[in-house]
Amino acid sequence: MPDKKYVTIFLEGRRIRVPEGYTVIEALWDTGHDIKRGVGCLSGLCGACAVAYLEPGGKRVKFGLGCQTIVKEKMDITVMPFFPSRMAKYDISNMEKPIDKLLEIYPELNMCKSCGFCSVACPEWINVSKVMSYLKDGRYEEATEMMFDCILCGLCASRCPRGIAPQIISLFVQRAIEKDRPVPENLRNRLKEIEDLKDEEIWGNILKMDEKSLKDFCEKVRKESD
Amino acid sequence: MYSKELLEQIFIVENTRESRFNRKIPSLSGEKKNFLLETFHPDFKASAFRTLRVGVNRGDGTVHEIADLLEAFSIFDYRDIDFEIPEAETDVLVLGGGGAGITAALFAESAGAKVVLATKLRLGNSNTIMALGGMQASVGEEDSPVKHFTDTVVAGQFKGKKELVKVMVSDGPQIVKWLMDLGVNFDRDEKGNLLTKMAGGSSVARILSIGDYTGLNIVKILKDEIRNRENIDIFEFSPVVELTTSEFGECNGAVIFDLERKQFFLIKAKAVILATGGSGRLHIQGFQTSNNFGATGDAIVLAYRAGAKLEGLDSFQYHPTGIVYPDHMVGVLVTEAIRSLGAHLVNSKGKRFINELETRDVVSAAMIKECEEGRGIVAPSGRVGVWLDTPVITEKRGKGFLREKFPALYRMFRRIKIDIENQPLLVYPTLHYQNGGILIDEKGETTVKNLFVAGEAAGGIHGRNRLMGNSLLDIFVFGRRAGLSAARRKFNEPGKQTLNHVDKYYKELKNLRITTVAKTPRIFQEFIVVK
Ligand SMILES: Cc1cc2nc3c(=O)[nH]c(=O)nc-3n(C[C@H](O)[C@H](O)[C@H](O)COP(=O)(O)OP(=O)(O)OC[C@H]3O[C@@H](n4cnc5c(N)ncnc54)[C@H](O)[C@@H]3O)c2cc1C
Ligand code: SF4
Ligand code: SF4
Ligand code: FES
Repeated sequence: MPDKKYVTIFLEGRRIRVPEGYTVIEALWDTGHDIKRGVGCLSGLCGACAVAYLEPGGKRVKFGLGCQTIVKEKMDITVMPFFPSRMAKYDISNMEKPIDKLLEIYPELNMCKSCGFCSVACPEWINVSKVMSYLKDGRYEEATEMMFDCILCGLCASRCPRGIAPQIISLFVQRAIEKDRPVPENLRNRLKEIEDLKDEEIWGNILKMDEKSLKDFCEKVRKESD
Repeated sequence: MYSKELLEQIFIVENTRESRFNRKIPSLSGEKKNFLLETFHPDFKASAFRTLRVGVNRGDGTVHEIADLLEAFSIFDYRDIDFEIPEAETDVLVLGGGGAGITAALFAESAGAKVVLATKLRLGNSNTIMALGGMQASVGEEDSPVKHFTDTVVAGQFKGKKELVKVMVSDGPQIVKWLMDLGVNFDRDEKGNLLTKMAGGSSVARILSIGDYTGLNIVKILKDEIRNRENIDIFEFSPVVELTTSEFGECNGAVIFDLERKQFFLIKAKAVILATGGSGRLHIQGFQTSNNFGATGDAIVLAYRAGAKLEGLDSFQYHPTGIVYPDHMVGVLVTEAIRSLGAHLVNSKGKRFINELETRDVVSAAMIKECEEGRGIVAPSGRVGVWLDTPVITEKRGKGFLREKFPALYRMFRRIKIDIENQPLLVYPTLHYQNGGILIDEKGETTVKNLFVAGEAAGGIHGRNRLMGNSLLDIFVFGRRAGLSAARRKFNEPGKQTLNHVDKYYKELKNLRITTVAKTPRIFQEFIVVK
């Protein structure tokens, strides 16, 4: 193994040296931080590990995921606390046309001034501010599509000067518009078949088969699909 | 960014790409497959296994890491706990806040039970959100639950329990409907039908997905839903560390550890559902893992001490394509869909060596063979892997295809200046899934009364190898079943909470003079950054 190279960084205000190539999370572990809240998937998917950092010579603070951000010489890093976001109460299963209730449930949508602060923070590179404009314009499908990759890290909400939580509002919209779509035909047909106990006899036979007959049966069924 | 040495190796991949293009690699015969598995699959490595000396499964073989987990005392001293005064009492106690746990809680509540859910990390932070590829359910016209059944048992080498597989595949379409009613938006085709994709080991296209973020998008909605339910209390950063039993040996609650206050608290319940997921972070046989930080196999040890029977814990799934380079992403998964779309696996000579669409166990064994026989590529860390040639897809489907279809993967590598459209990825099998677990019946109940298990912690369904997409299905199907059955126990009289089963288990260990230093449940793996 080649000699380790080190970088000096400022972690939560403390000046420390860690091996080159470490992520922020690894640097924290390496220096004895017992962090549990800020870790989860270690794959950039769960959004538990939001961090803010300043690069040397950088003009503004950047945001990212601690498990995906590699420390660099003289970086100044802090772990972001989980930011509270307002979640409205609703029972979507019993709502007729939930999307019509959007402004009733999340009136703060109309307070959004499209300032773009939220977009700057998003580690998933989502243009959150544009999502908000789409939502205001009723372009729900497009907004939902843009938010597919949102990992609910809450960084956008933490930057919003108006205390809005875009990731939570768009989640309601995502659910509401799906409820408005018709049940897919292929699913409906299959459910009907199951309700009519179409395969009941075959199941009866399958459960009685010994391993040998089961093997033959499986081979036959799987061949048919080829 | 790739190191200079790796860039030189990539050169070979680029030079051979065209010649690999039209060559078909036939599927291996059953005999050859078996030989490959027996020689190179980790499940067949005799020295990695030993026989359990204690408990219900005494005499069964399992890997050392699981045996160490089971043949051990607790890390905690429970003597100070007052068993007369639980902190909370509830009808159903759900342990674990991944897909299985949240589903169980939702159904138990819908059935009129009061529910408490305690989980180790933040709610939803789990293997479920990491599921990228998708979920199996037989909704396609040319498909049927019976076909789904045959694919599942064949993949599991006929070791899965027929009854369990049957209910899983039969409940599938209904569970899809339930998810959609909650607002889960599975991808659809032009006609508005659910879009189905092909997967290795399946005879028809059956994978439902939501972009390349399937698990995440389902969990986001389940989390939104559970927060809206009146009768579910949630405790986060509160791992379960022991179950409690009544004087009759029936499960009636659990000891929870509050990570913030570093204190125990007791919850009493009429039925308990363990849904704490898998055990990838035990790094079985030293393998890298795709699993989240909290996947330390806690359920197995707790249930085993309570007397529950385990099933199939001699079989694990090693997903073929875990990242090897760069270091901070070691073990992270590249979705199987990339291989389904035609990416090649290529050795250091620039040659393909296996049909990429064989089942996961076979592909992994073939990759291990290449590396052990010296045809692997060595990363600067010393780790070895083979190439996953993603640019093949770009050649076939055009520029921008990967970027559009796999935004998460694309972005993950973009951050470190690797462009998956033009550069291959270095991969090696990664410990992915616990094929076995705690044996359940169709209700989700274990051999211990009032103790239910759902999700990856459960055993008996997938046999020796799980099909891609069957796990997401299983967690919702058995989460629902466990939730509904547990709710029916709400008129139980739980009785006094005790740790009698733990004392008994300890006695067994002591009688055998087992004095291990290992202490379990692990809760968090002591994290050692090795580089
Ligand atoms: C990277 C990756 C990709 C995958 N892709 C797919 C796919 O495409 N299709 C598919 O079908 N399957 C896939 N799987 C497998 C599948 O996601 C999991 O098997 C499944 O989601 C497990 O669900 P679960 O609810 O049982 O466990 P988890 O989702 O892991 O949830 C367990 C929960 O319990 C908590 N917990 C753990 N220990 C304790 C404790 N002691 N006390 C309290 N709480 C505890 C954890 O923090 C977690 O929240 C993938 C897995 C991984 C890791
Ligand atoms: S930061 Fe707030 S106000 Fe500004 S665009 Fe985003 S949501 Fe709107
Ligand atoms: S939209 Fe907001 S919550 Fe979602 S990933 Fe971006 S910053 Fe995080
Ligand atoms: S630990 Fe999950 S995103 Fe970083």
